[in-house]
Amino acid sequence: MKKLSIVFIAACTCFCVSSCTKGEYLNVSDSVVDPNSVSVDVVLANPSKTQIIQLCKGLESVMRNGHNDFLASSAAVGRETISSRSTDNRYYTELLGTNVAQYGGVTAGANDPAGIFNAYYTAFSSTRRRAEQLVLTANNATSITAGEKKAVEGFARTIQAYVTLNLLNMQGKNGIRETFSDLNSPGDLLKPGKFGTYASGLVLVKKYADDGLAALAAGTNFPFTFGSGFTGFNTIATFSQFNRAVAARVAMYQNDWAGVLTTLNGSFMNLTGSLSAGPKFVWSTAANDFTNTLFVTPNNNGQPYVLFNEMVAAFEANDTRFTGTTAKAQARTSARSSGPFTSTHEVRMFTSNTSNSTMIKNEELILMYAEAKVEQNTPATLLEAVTAINYIRTSYGLIVYAGAVTRAALIDEVLKQRRFSLFFEGHRWFDMRRRNMLAQIQPQGAIGSQTFVVFENMSRPDAEVQWDRQNP
Amino acid sequence: MRKTIQPVLLLLLVLCLPSLMHAQTVINGRVTESVNNNPLEGATIMVRGTTNSAITDPSGKFSITVPNTNAKLQVSYVGYITQVIDAKNSASISLTADNSNLTEVVVTGLATSIKKSNAANSVATISAKELAGNTRPQTLDGAMQGKVPGAQISANSGAPGGGFSVRLRGISSINLSSEPLYIIDGVYVNNNQNATGAGTGPFSGATGQTAGTQDQAPNRLADINPADIENISILKGPSAAAIYGTRANAGVVIITTKRGKAGKIAINVGQDFGIVRAINLIGMHKTIWDKQFTVGTDKASGTDYTQEKALKNPTSQTWDYEDIIYGNTGFISNTRLTLSGGSDKVKYYAGVSRWDETGIQKRTGYKRNSARLNLDFQPKTWWDFGIATNVVNTVSDRSFSGNDNNGVSLGYSIAYLPNWLPQLPVNGVYPSNKYTGQNPLEIVDKGVNNEEVNRFIVSFNNTFHLLRRPSHSLKLTMQGGIDQVSQENFVHMREELQYQQQRPNPGAVRNTYTRGRNMNFQTFLVDQLKQKDFNFTTSLGAVRLETDNKTIWFQGEGIPRGTTNTNNASVQLSFLDLSGWQDVGLVAQEEINWGDKIIATGGVRFDKTSLNGDTKKYYAFPKASLAVNISQFDFWKVNAVNLLKARIAYGKTGNPASFGSKFTNIIPFAIDGFTGSSTPATVGNPAIKPETSQELEYGLDFAAFNSRVTGEISFYKRDIKDFIDVFSLSPGTGVTSYKAFNVGDIENKGIEIGLGGSPVQNKNITWRTTVNWWRNRSKITRLLIPEKATAATGFGAFGTQRLRVGNSPSQWYGTPNVNGLPTAYEDAQPLWQLSWSNSVTFLKNFEFSMLIHRSHKNFNSSLNQEITDEGGVSPDWSNLNETGVPVGSARILGQPGITTRNFIQDASFTKLREASLYYTLPKAVYGNIGFLRNIDNARIGVSGTNLFVWTNYFGYDPEAANFGNRPTLATVDLLSFPSARRLYFHLNVNF
Repeated sequence: MKKLSIVFIAACTCFCVSSCTKGEYLNVSDSVVDPNSVSVDVVLANPSKTQIIQLCKGLESVMRNGHNDFLASSAAVGRETISSRSTDNRYYTELLGTNVAQYGGVTAGANDPAGIFNAYYTAFSSTRRRAEQLVLTANNATSITAGEKKAVEGFARTIQAYVTLNLLNMQGKNGIRETFSDLNSPGDLLKPGKFGTYASGLVLVKKYADDGLAALAAGTNFPFTFGSGFTGFNTIATFSQFNRAVAARVAMYQNDWAGVLTTLNGSFMNLTGSLSAGPKFVWSTAANDFTNTLFVTPNNNGQPYVLFNEMVAAFEANDTRFTGTTAKAQARTSARSSGPFTSTHEVRMFTSNTSNSTMIKNEELILMYAEAKVEQNTPATLLEAVTAINYIRTSYGLIVYAGAVTRAALIDEVLKQRRFSLFFEGHRWFDMRRRNMLAQIQPQGAIGSQTFVVFENMSRPDAEVQWDRQNP
Repeated sequence: MRKTIQPVLLLLLVLCLPSLMHAQTVINGRVTESVNNNPLEGATIMVRGTTNSAITDPSGKFSITVPNTNAKLQVSYVGYITQVIDAKNSASISLTADNSNLTEVVVTGLATSIKKSNAANSVATISAKELAGNTRPQTLDGAMQGKVPGAQISANSGAPGGGFSVRLRGISSINLSSEPLYIIDGVYVNNNQNATGAGTGPFSGATGQTAGTQDQAPNRLADINPADIENISILKGPSAAAIYGTRANAGVVIITTKRGKAGKIAINVGQDFGIVRAINLIGMHKTIWDKQFTVGTDKASGTDYTQEKALKNPTSQTWDYEDIIYGNTGFISNTRLTLSGGSDKVKYYAGVSRWDETGIQKRTGYKRNSARLNLDFQPKTWWDFGIATNVVNTVSDRSFSGNDNNGVSLGYSIAYLPNWLPQLPVNGVYPSNKYTGQNPLEIVDKGVNNEEVNRFIVSFNNTFHLLRRPSHSLKLTMQGGIDQVSQENFVHMREELQYQQQRPNPGAVRNTYTRGRNMNFQTFLVDQLKQKDFNFTTSLGAVRLETDNKTIWFQGEGIPRGTTNTNNASVQLSFLDLSGWQDVGLVAQEEINWGDKIIATGGVRFDKTSLNGDTKKYYAFPKASLAVNISQFDFWKVNAVNLLKARIAYGKTGNPASFGSKFTNIIPFAIDGFTGSSTPATVGNPAIKPETSQELEYGLDFAAFNSRVTGEISFYKRDIKDFIDVFSLSPGTGVTSYKAFNVGDIENKGIEIGLGGSPVQNKNITWRTTVNWWRNRSKITRLLIPEKATAATGFGAFGTQRLRVGNSPSQWYGTPNVNGLPTAYEDAQPLWQLSWSNSVTFLKNFEFSMLIHRSHKNFNSSLNQEITDEGGVSPDWSNLNETGVPVGSARILGQPGITTRNFIQDASFTKLREASLYYTLPKAVYGNIGFLRNIDNARIGVSGTNLFVWTNYFGYDPEAANFGNRPTLATVDLLSFPSARRLYFHLNVNF
């Protein structure tokens, strides 16, 4: 009996010890693969054609990242709309400039640098990097032709230009980081480029667009199929027109009026065509896709996008942009208060959370054309501008322009048409800024016990400030 | 190295046969307690110099074989002072109660333990009676509140079903879990806070689609029935916990459940009834809103209010919605039955219990059904085998509270609800609410946030006594177990709700299934060698832990009336998340005890885990300690002081990065029906190392007048090295962060002082009292990365925690920014805490106890005042300030002079956490009544938890925390679910 027990114990011990030596007991998994996803290295090292296609579609998708945040924030600062959240007043205090003093005063301060309004910044910066990485990856690939590589590069650069311009406009005089270090080196993230000025930022964005055009010109065909948002802009030739439309925007912010007209010539501008023509952002409720978050059900009390009453007061009678069934904004059944602001109207541009939204449209191109023509300021070009303006006006049921045919009067008219035609599309605040008219934006100043300031630009995010403080 | 162990082992096996002792004389005796001379059942009698032992029977009697009548007997019983007597004096042995707990045995290693009087660390212990014997805290962590010096234990919300965070000795981490490791009978307990989805877009909307930080979920320790627990040992810092290595950075809580004792069947039946009320309601604006009608609030203009009121409430009626929602009384029933007993070969403890509680809010509640069977076998004299099984089913309905973006969370809604706006349902129709977008009473009556957990915890321990001689013993122990948690969450918002009607696809359901599994196994060889006055205890072992978790959720939006199945939804989403890891540890420890005078311990644990960047590398976690029992030396002549011990201990522990930190993944992005992919905005760190903590603790313990006065004082310095945090990069690079990086160091310094005693101890009255005072200060001493806000610790200008060198990681920051840097405010950590517990037995049959807890100068980021001011409902809103503006209007953020200063609030409090009074019914009352004469002992009592709170804090509970278990004690308060006061009536009968 005793012998048996000894044997039993010895057997148990041997089992334990031997299982140790075999290594099962003392082994841990050394897998570097996440069971939930694919590793980046696998894809970027030597991508298959399928993976290149997926990366292109990925870029097409992430181009939308941050865009709605950008629209909502810039529309609030530009006093178009308020995101009237029932449970967070920062959307109509901080964003409308009540806390400027606490973040460095009227000249330096804006919103909370560590606050909730930085989503556009990280999203646009990510898209910018993703485009850069796609260019790099496509050029390394052996699975696509040289002509396809160029087409992918042109696609990526164009999208890079589009989002970087929006990023730069939000940051204004703060500028943006202008270079990437070598994306392939492990430490590149630790060496971000230096911040430039607004002007040097525009030069960079122009280069993105021009490089994109050059690459497209050398491209043969896109290795992937565009989604429905790019219907009409999905070949090398037509996508190049979109590229030129983006380049025209850059030229406009550079006040390069000759450049605006040149680039518009290469774009899809049609002075007598459909105003809404142009590529669109498309949205869906599918997994890993995004919905159009700017859609809010009518008369919503949770977080409607309501209009400043000053905006409503500026509507011209019978303008079908703001009256009738096609109106972009309509009266609410009950007024909505957001702090001291009471709004009668709300945004009604979308019918559902999968409704398309505008990326860039012919209407904007026509208005850029008109502005450039006004700036050339000859009797002939002023009349060409009036013709373009009248096309817009008459399209919306208004009578033809009857004001003075002078540069000053027509600039005012162009800005006015841009305000209504490009409402809630990320333009008003930047138009007023480039024309040095921020002080004219209403409402601002002391209202009730608070003081509202239209700031020049969004704060540089705290993470950037702290990074530069640590790495001077 | 392993190759050499094997032959040594076999040699030991061959040499050391289980040996039988030869009996010579049998003596009999009886053990009683000294106050009432009642018999002590289960006392241990050991013959010194032999391994002979015996246990007393229910009448206190024992018999034992001794070599001769001059032999010395050592008589011990937990809670009483151990005596050594001559065998010939054994007829009547009287033990004196030890109020100092010095005789308690505390765990110091994975396979060894030590008497508290010999311990080199301050190890907090909580007995069954202290834990849940006096009153009935709902959950185990709640039961520990105020009872552990060095700990900060706070309830995240008062919602039924728990939700606590436990912090031992300051800040252990910034971004990883800093809950202590819980071990129940050797099983690594799953204490996850599993996401429920209640905080996501279609529900409260506090976060986007990713569930987690703002779901207000409970942590899973809530499943453990406090009544099953025999005792708890808390290893507060690395100097005590080093032997647990890479999982012990935040301390270890070792829980031992009740086991059977040899003897007759002990039957215990208990029934508690209780009521639950909110401790405190903030009180809403009482008058009919004259000022709001004139000037309006942040939410609406005065004109708007006047029109709305004229339309909906012409009769100027008012309602107290806070009282309607949170002013209800809940009921508790807690029923349990346990049987225990056995022989020297088989012992058992079997118990079932049911806790059923309804909350202070309608349709909330918590149920826990728990069954336990613990068995201990001694099949052979050299073989012990034990198994512990626990099966638990819990169900909770927690409703919606905390942060919100949809008008769903009730605390939040109440803050924006005018008292004149009719919200009560009329013929089943809930009037709409234009101010928050949702009628809160409709959420109370229709919103569902349900959780069901089915869990089993099984553990075994197996010991082979390879050698048992008076001077030398050797044993091989194996221990292991499984903790499997299956959690189902069901969150439902019906289509007809006002806010759902305003969503693109009304009607939302989210089903979440979470399965967590921990499996662990350890093998140890423990050798005990006695050489003259020296005892050498050597342990060698290997430990393995495997964790495997899976979460699946299905969400449907656009669910039509009449169904809750997501298959019928217009928009369906699903998600799968897998995670798992393995840890391996090798342990060696040596303890040298010189006649209980000097006790020195040294040990080291080598750990590797699949979570580290280098999965092959073993990280070393050493420990060393020295305890000197000055009073045990011959030169000690101060008889009044029966214990004086100086101690010093050092140890190191670790904490690996969370799962996924190493990986850099392609992220799927779809568009227009095609799924593409893109590079991520956060990248993994394949070089990640564990964060570590090393601690030096030293202190003094004393006991005087036969342990009637005891005290201890401990100092510690605990340094967190290479703490892991998200490394925020310049976002302009397009990558926001490394998911995990070893970024800096934190220092914790603290003092813990405990004083206890029995000021009165006689036949009529025994009064025991204990005072504990403790404080901890933390400081960031090194930071590799730029200063940054700590994730999920607050809301911008309302106060956020940041990493700033030289300051505390739990400190608050906010506006105004000076030179681009936010201003520093006070700390969320209390300056000090104090607890005072008392237990008085009087008139023989009465027992009274109470526990008072003070937390001093701990600060919350409180949005309570802000949101009630924005909504115009704060009680003093209409009072005019010196410039004639209503104070409620002038206090909100954005008004002149309002900075973060206004939101960082002193949340100091004093709470009467527990009080109880019991009466043991004299046998004469029931001894002659039929069946009742079978009763051995019957007790009735009343008790309560959170009976009184003294605080100046504006809110439901100064302890609330919106973000749950954040490592830096981010006590952000957004009118969380009010904490409850519970009052009980108890009946307890032993057969």
